[in-house]
Amino acid sequence: MITILDGAMGTELQKMGLELGGVPEVLNLTEPEKITAIHANYIKSGAQIVYANTFGANRYKMRKTGHSVEELIQAAVRNAKAAVAETGGNAKVALDIGPIGALIEPLGDLTFEEAYDIFAEEVRAAKDADVIVIETMTDLYETKAAVLAAKENSDKPVYVTMTFEANHRTFTGTAIASMALTMEGLGVDGIGFNCSLGPAELVPMVKELYTLTNLPIVLKPNAGLPDPVTNTYNVLPEEFAATIAGLLPYGVQFVGGCCGTAPAYIQAVTDTVRKWENGEIVMNPEEQAEWEALTEKRNNRPMGICSAQKAVYLDEPRVIGERINPTGKKMFQQALRDQDMDYILNQALAQVDAGADVLDVNVGLPGVDEKTMMCKVIKALQAVVDVPLQIDSNDPEVLAAALRIYNGKPIVNSVNGEEKSRRNILPLVKQYGAAVVGLTLDENGIASKAEDRFAVAEKIVESAVAIGIDKKNLLIDCLTLTASAEQAAVKETLEAVCMVRDRLGLPGVLGVSNISFGLPYRELVNTTFLTLALQNGLMMPIMNPNSDAMMGVIRAFKLLMNYDKNAIAYTAAYQNYTPATKAAGGPVTIASSKEDPVEQQIRTELGEEPAKLYLAVVRGLASEGEQLTGKLLNEMDSMVLVNQVLIPALDTVGAGFEKGRIYLPQLILSASVVQGAFGLIKEHIAKGGAESVSKGKVILATVKGDIHDIGKNIVKVLLENYGFTVIDLGRDVEIQAVVDAAREHQVKLVGLSALMTTTLGSMEQTIAALREAGLPCQVVVGGAVLTPEYAMQIGADYYAKDAKETVDVARKVFGA
Amino acid sequence: MVKLRPINMDEACRYLGYGTQKPDDVILSLLKECEEPLLEACHPAYSYGIFDMEPANPELILLKDCALKLTGKDIVKHLEGCQKVVIMAATLGSGVDQLLRQLQISNMPKALLTDAMAGAAIEQICNDIQEEIRTQMPEFRQTWRFSPGYGDLPLELQETLLSVVEAGKRIGLVTTKSQMLSPVKSVTAIIGLQDMNQITGAVHLTVPEEAGAVAGCGTPEGCSQCRFGGSCGLSAAGKKEEEV
Repeated sequence: MITILDGAMGTELQKMGLELGGVPEVLNLTEPEKITAIHANYIKSGAQIVYANTFGANRYKMRKTGHSVEELIQAAVRNAKAAVAETGGNAKVALDIGPIGALIEPLGDLTFEEAYDIFAEEVRAAKDADVIVIETMTDLYETKAAVLAAKENSDKPVYVTMTFEANHRTFTGTAIASMALTMEGLGVDGIGFNCSLGPAELVPMVKELYTLTNLPIVLKPNAGLPDPVTNTYNVLPEEFAATIAGLLPYGVQFVGGCCGTAPAYIQAVTDTVRKWENGEIVMNPEEQAEWEALTEKRNNRPMGICSAQKAVYLDEPRVIGERINPTGKKMFQQALRDQDMDYILNQALAQVDAGADVLDVNVGLPGVDEKTMMCKVIKALQAVVDVPLQIDSNDPEVLAAALRIYNGKPIVNSVNGEEKSRRNILPLVKQYGAAVVGLTLDENGIASKAEDRFAVAEKIVESAVAIGIDKKNLLIDCLTLTASAEQAAVKETLEAVCMVRDRLGLPGVLGVSNISFGLPYRELVNTTFLTLALQNGLMMPIMNPNSDAMMGVIRAFKLLMNYDKNAIAYTAAYQNYTPATKAAGGPVTIASSKEDPVEQQIRTELGEEPAKLYLAVVRGLASEGEQLTGKLLNEMDSMVLVNQVLIPALDTVGAGFEKGRIYLPQLILSASVVQGAFGLIKEHIAKGGAESVSKGKVILATVKGDIHDIGKNIVKVLLENYGFTVIDLGRDVEIQAVVDAAREHQVKLVGLSALMTTTLGSMEQTIAALREAGLPCQVVVGGAVLTPEYAMQIGADYYAKDAKETVDVARKVFGA
Repeated sequence: MVKLRPINMDEACRYLGYGTQKPDDVILSLLKECEEPLLEACHPAYSYGIFDMEPANPELILLKDCALKLTGKDIVKHLEGCQKVVIMAATLGSGVDQLLRQLQISNMPKALLTDAMAGAAIEQICNDIQEEIRTQMPEFRQTWRFSPGYGDLPLELQETLLSVVEAGKRIGLVTTKSQMLSPVKSVTAIIGLQDMNQITGAVHLTVPEEAGAVAGCGTPEGCSQCRFGGSCGLSAAGKKEEEV
């Protein structure tokens, strides 16, 4: 039996005189009878659940009303219960939780934990409500915080509806599949859509959702679209109900209306639903055929995981990028110790560009707090990449923290056959609704025979299913052993993968690259093994997507096995393919300017090629710059290259910028050429085992309250170019965090940026806190609204009008 | 209907500091390269409402059936002679924020150029909205766009302004705790509408030079010109006076 929900509260209140932009929740106290009357009208029209007038009753939105959340919510529930009593006592009352009104980072400046607390307060205030609805959500992350708050602070059923646009995404980019996977994982009782669009626009979305979930679908469309001038909605009750009738076969179990709907709409919906239930509305053959096709799709849905923006289903092999892992990587280890997020994010972006579908994230390194670092890296990653993540750790505490703050449905890598591992890790997988990789090893280590590894897989599956994990969320890693050490084991691994596919029906995961350890021409062994494994049931190779040969195997396999229909992806990747000639390294031609004395001097003192590198920087030619640097590093000392070529080039550009002859984009372009060169130099130095030389540490931060950080990031690039080590604290940085970092790193210079007049106050407070802490650092400030006078007034040591001036300040402070 | 293609490159170059100069070929080709990804990341959306004005005193304007109270001398001056007020909010969407975050990590020059182009794009959207209003209400001419934070109009009005046009729900635009707009590439504005049949005498009030600069971004071109400058179709200040 389909449950009827109520219609709009807000637009009904506006009809009664609530002004636009007014706070409807306060009316729970000031005009309770009006609120009760609206509820009662909906119940009389057929509503079986009414949403209490609590949509915005959170501590953030209500902060200026002078009323507490508890007071407003309790009054709202009381008003709704009064309507229930008045109409016979059968309807239920829902605590209605809407968005907070401010977004969680990185979209806004709330933390996930703050959002959770805000929602938890609402849930605790609504003890007398019967169910909890979380609605009009546009951010999956905020929705997750609300669901966790609801489930951890009450035992009531929880329903979630989000608001999607015509492009089938929410404003923050959440995909319908991501809502389905994540909410199903978190164990909510129903999901669906409300608001934003009318019923007709929701038709394709409901059908899509039907194929993506087995949960009951909840539907509350608007009465069409609002007219911006008159603020009225354009769909009438009969049309509204008629459109909904067509959706009832698609898993819709709860239906009502959102903005612009009124009791007449709910009455029309009630009548339609009861007719449908009585068999008075039947599908025509065409509708029947569509329903059957979509139902088949629904029944054959493969396993899926997701970020907020992207779902990845195992309907074909999917690549897990292995590069976010410090094992055996000096530069990565250093980046972790320095908390250099940009380095890690660059690794992520490069893998996604190369075709990774999922990224494995491993940050385990002695001396690094894995739990803190894992959460920090995951938050940073989900702000810039849209692929789902695989959380790679054996530590249940790390996994628990990471699973909680992950925005979507991740893979946990991994659980194994050991009793302790299963006992500690599987409950977390269940609690947060993740997928999990089961490693076929146990107390006895890795079995040499395929049958024995298969037995471990079976044991893991059994334990998972026993605690309620859907088999669809399990992947099995039959473990790659190194061919050079255990040649005979390779066949066993392949056979085990095959058995897992055929007998357990589960997809295989394998770390591929290990196979060739210790052998020459590793790529050949890797690609061959990958091909064999794919044929035997490997669905998720963990590999380096930056390897063209490995990605080539994946693309060709998908083409040959008819996954890549019409060879679209294959053709897109290779239509302009020409076999690689010998590594690029031919002569670089850059015309000399003849007039630049610095160039002439470099040519005289260091030769032709360094002079070309100088010009490449001045003219912003990135690939030439990289090529020349690579070549020159083999021929001359890297510090000579830095101090006598790269920095003089930057100075030339900087001088032109100061004189107004060249513009900011050119300055930054030149800086990025140097940045590329520096990347190579750092690698070169790391290979040689020497410590890289820094001219000094500088802290940079965009102050508390300010989320505009492009200016700070420009300064960072330029400072790094000049050889300074930048500790980038990011944007919207807590005052104390700046003080702590300045103390910890004992820096001589702190750079603060603010774009808005409103955040100058927190710049002043940050400087004051640094002074109060008695730290010996100097402070340089910058930002669009600052003036030199104001900078002095708030206690800064220096004002820098742009990135170039900041470098000048740093050189002065460090005497560099 | 808002139209972003092509992005106004002259405007973007102006934001980059080029003034009337043309960037060199390297920058121009980079700009071109940045355009398509930006357009793909943009999901422009807007919401506005039109309200009758109810001037209350020299530092307060109320709007009929609207919770937004416009306070300060500057907004009162801005809306002098107007009968109606448009409250508008527009955004390029959060995809642009994400693109800019990515570029700031992987390619700073592109981040800078994309940021400027996004500034030009949101400007285009605002102009299109004003055009839409002009088509619907041809008898009204429009002031330029005045935003919370300009002059003495408090930035704290941002939140109420957004709720008046239901910006959170309709276009996904909210404020941060410190009253900044999120997504970042967004605009909120107040536009005065003056019934041309009711104009008595010349109206060409100028606004303070620093009005736009105070907010640190998007100083309207009309700042030092007449408040009906730039986008009312009666562009140059002198010409306007004649026509009035």
